Amino acid sequence: MGVYLLKRLGASFVTAALASIVVFLLIRSVPGDVVGQMLGQTNDPVAARALREFFGLDQPVWRQYLTWLAKVATTDFGVSWTRGQPVFGMIANALGVTMQLAFSTLFLATAIGVPLGVMASVNEGKTLDHLIQVFNLLGLAAPVFWVGLMLLVGVSTAFGWSPPLMYVRPTEGLGENLSIMALPVLSLAVLQAAAYSQFVRQSVVAALGQDYVRTAIAKGVPTSVVFFKHVLRNIAIPLVTFMGLILIQILGGTVIIESLFALPGLGRLLLSSIESRDYPVLQAGLLVVVVIAMLVNLAVDLLYRVIDPRVRLG
Amino acid sequence: MATAQNLLTRAVRRVRREPDLGFGVALLALLLTVALLPDLFATQSPLAINVDRAMEEPSASHLFGTDDVGRDIFARVVHGARITLSICASALILAAALGGSLGIISGFLGGRADMLLGRGVDVILSFPPIILGVMITGVLGPKTPNLIFALTMIYVPVFFRIARSGALAEAGLPYVEAARSIGVSEPLILIRHVLRNVAPLILVQCMVLFPLVLQIQSALGFLGLGVQPPTPDWGAILQQSKDYILLAPWMSAFPGLAILITSLALMLVGRGLQRRLDRR
Repeated sequence: MGVYLLKRLGASFVTAALASIVVFLLIRSVPGDVVGQMLGQTNDPVAARALREFFGLDQPVWRQYLTWLAKVATTDFGVSWTRGQPVFGMIANALGVTMQLAFSTLFLATAIGVPLGVMASVNEGKTLDHLIQVFNLLGLAAPVFWVGLMLLVGVSTAFGWSPPLMYVRPTEGLGENLSIMALPVLSLAVLQAAAYSQFVRQSVVAALGQDYVRTAIAKGVPTSVVFFKHVLRNIAIPLVTFMGLILIQILGGTVIIESLFALPGLGRLLLSSIESRDYPVLQAGLLVVVVIAMLVNLAVDLLYRVIDPRVRLG
Repeated sequence: MATAQNLLTRAVRRVRREPDLGFGVALLALLLTVALLPDLFATQSPLAINVDRAMEEPSASHLFGTDDVGRDIFARVVHGARITLSICASALILAAALGGSLGIISGFLGGRADMLLGRGVDVILSFPPIILGVMITGVLGPKTPNLIFALTMIYVPVFFRIARSGALAEAGLPYVEAARSIGVSEPLILIRHVLRNVAPLILVQCMVLFPLVLQIQSALGFLGLGVQPPTPDWGAILQQSKDYILLAPWMSAFPGLAILITSLALMLVGRGLQRRLDRR
């Protein structure tokens, strides 16, 4: 177990390092940098050279990378080139917003999607099953941002209310925070609930066709016991894998939804840092995203073992 | 005549057995007609500005209403079909060609090349798809070729893995050994045998991934990182109309519905094909 964990972490570390190199090269491969944007039309060569020297942009790329890496190793992500604030604090703040959005969505999507999938599977072939499948298809086909837009219209025509385009931390006012987060969470959750429901339906239908289920029913085990003790336990592993996938999907979806609802999360920070060529923020933000995705995958692997002791890691 | 009738009855029987696939194919055929012959459906120009008739509600003269500068939204959505779908299709073809060939080579050769390519794919997969798209289009600039490049890079790993596992399975089969023993050269074995057996997997995957590509394509358009105005790409239309969402919801509703319906058709067809492949 310990050896496995070390190996996994080692491999993840290498991938993250490679990913950061790719990002580093990509953002420096195109013409135009923060200095050009700062100076705008003036374009004074002396000032430009001084600024490039100040940001270290006059150094060869590999040296810039090593300098950055050495600092990151001591959790120093540097200072934003456009806002002058420490990158670490900016990302921590943004991450708080994104995490609230992502985990609320995961919770809501699970709470809606799993029961829907179970209902569909136990009613396989009946009207309820067909209705749920139609919901699944529509939920998966609708673009996330469009669902958000339509929810905005729906809520404003039905209640004459639209959420303020600002952000309030849950610690500053929970009620206000929830009213701001409700629509973003709901728009993201519709898609993921549909994905969940479809996945659970498929898994349960497949499990219901297995020999062990037939045996259990044949020997007189009550249906509910068969369902909870045999079927649900056996779909737990694929479900956990799926949950991990969904969480990573949600993480991507937050970029779109944060931009639509003007939430100051990680996605919006990434977008604005790309626009202003704020390399330290962009570099650190992308690293954080990659590391989170990796941690989610690692957590999924470890959970396997908890759910199914037969799984040997390594 | 008899054969035509025969074909028809067979088609009807097939649709009856798989109504969702039939519905998907019919819907997709309609969408392809719209994409290929937009003028057949929309008589007005998708670009003609008429400020006097800005933000009009849907009516008989403007089925989907007009936008903030008085352009006919129906015409924009109809003409958008070709732009949006051709971008997605080009990205898919490029991703399938690149990922598929690299995957086949990687699986067939094994060894160090396989390890290196696998590592590269891991790096791409370490980013959530949309974030990779935002990164590439954001850094390289919002131009259509960059958008296609971004979408291609997002889906190369998927094709790589499918082709690689397919080639790995094929490489161990007796017929490859037999071909080798009679002196068929390695590239010929790859092209004539392995590729031929892996190709169906890749083709079906193209259909399965198409709706996902469409979602990301339109999301990038919505973020302003895709096709630029005034070109009527569906995502780009939504990007411009979102500021008027409460004043003129029809400006957003119809292009979004177009994405939804297209995704739906593609999903139904992709699933039908996948089922058929699994049965084989």
